[in-house]
Amino acid sequence: MRNVEDLLRAADPLRHEPPEKAEDRDAIRRTVLAAASGAEPNGRRFATLRASVALIVVVVVFIGVGARFWPRGTTEVSAAVRFEVRLAEAQFAPGLREARVVGSNRTIYLHQEIVATNEDIAQSDVVEGDAPSRFWIRVAFTSAGAAKMQRATAGHLGAPVAVLIDGEVVLAPTLRSPISTSAVISGDYTKAEADRIVRGMSVR
Amino acid sequence: MNGLPMVDALPTMLPDHATDRLSVLFDVHYERLYRLARRLAPTEDEARDLVQETFLRAARSPKSVPAGRTSEEAWLVRVLVNIRRDDWRKAAVRRRHEEEARRAPRVNRDHDAAVVARATIWRALDILSPRRRAVIVLHELEGQTIAAIAALLGISAVTVRWHLSFGRRDLARILGSRLGESDEKR
Repeated sequence: MRNVEDLLRAADPLRHEPPEKAEDRDAIRRTVLAAASGAEPNGRRFATLRASVALIVVVVVFIGVGARFWPRGTTEVSAAVRFEVRLAEAQFAPGLREARVVGSNRTIYLHQEIVATNEDIAQSDVVEGDAPSRFWIRVAFTSAGAAKMQRATAGHLGAPVAVLIDGEVVLAPTLRSPISTSAVISGDYTKAEADRIVRGMSVR
Repeated sequence: MNGLPMVDALPTMLPDHATDRLSVLFDVHYERLYRLARRLAPTEDEARDLVQETFLRAARSPKSVPAGRTSEEAWLVRVLVNIRRDDWRKAAVRRRHEEEARRAPRVNRDHDAAVVARATIWRALDILSPRRRAVIVLHELEGQTIAAIAALLGISAVTVRWHLSFGRRDLARILGSRLGESDEKR
């Protein structure tokens, strides 16, 4: 009869899974080094969308920590900006809507259901991006919004989630971990554009 | 680094430059951390997230990472286990995923049944706290001595033995019942 140790060895996933892909390892390496170089004037810069998506993952990992350091600024009322988060797929399937990710040739397929909207945003603000003239938008969800995001994204790992602003898909990172309380939209925005979007997000 | 085997090329004094040091740290310890993470986390994706977050902690506070390969490894392993512990505490999410996995369509072919049996056994490890699981994994799967595990995790040998004893007992209890369930369903 086999004992616990034998059963564990037999079930060890490292015995049965293929070796980790080099691209997975490299993606993590890039993300980690990007985080390290962020404070350095001549650090490595990532201009590709892929790297931006990787950075999103970094920031999402900061969930929970971010809330404590969130600036308590005020937002002005401005023209409404429609914000949506939808689950998406890389391959077409019936019932999905094709959409192009702005600024790239990438096509994704959107689910009909909307996961989160402006109503689910507790706060948003502009943060510096990965280049001097590039700005990103940080979004903190309400508790209800965070619950919806957590519920939807936890069951969608490995597939894209789309962030839409005024109906356009501006970002579609592949989910590596669930999103709940906050996320960063790492678009290629000027300060003025980012400010406008942040102000518009607060209009209900 | 020109594809050189970084473990062998590790300099005695690591570079001062934060990015360079992190780069070396990553190349030297990634493989070891991934193997441990994969045995602590339910899925490959979660293992990669765990390793990434561990290195991100090092990136955020590089000065807290001690110099020297053994000390670095111990620091990284402890951080990794602590992160896993935080994740593990989110019990509600974990239980929901387990329930979803249990509701997955049942398969009867021999090969798939073997895969299901392995998954069942591996899921039993999720019951253990990450530190206890780490002790079990390090001892039973990596073959490390009690003294080495104590040094790596920064705990006493008595505590390691305690975790081993209770971990084995818990697993024997859980695996017994779960394997029983699995047999009945086949």
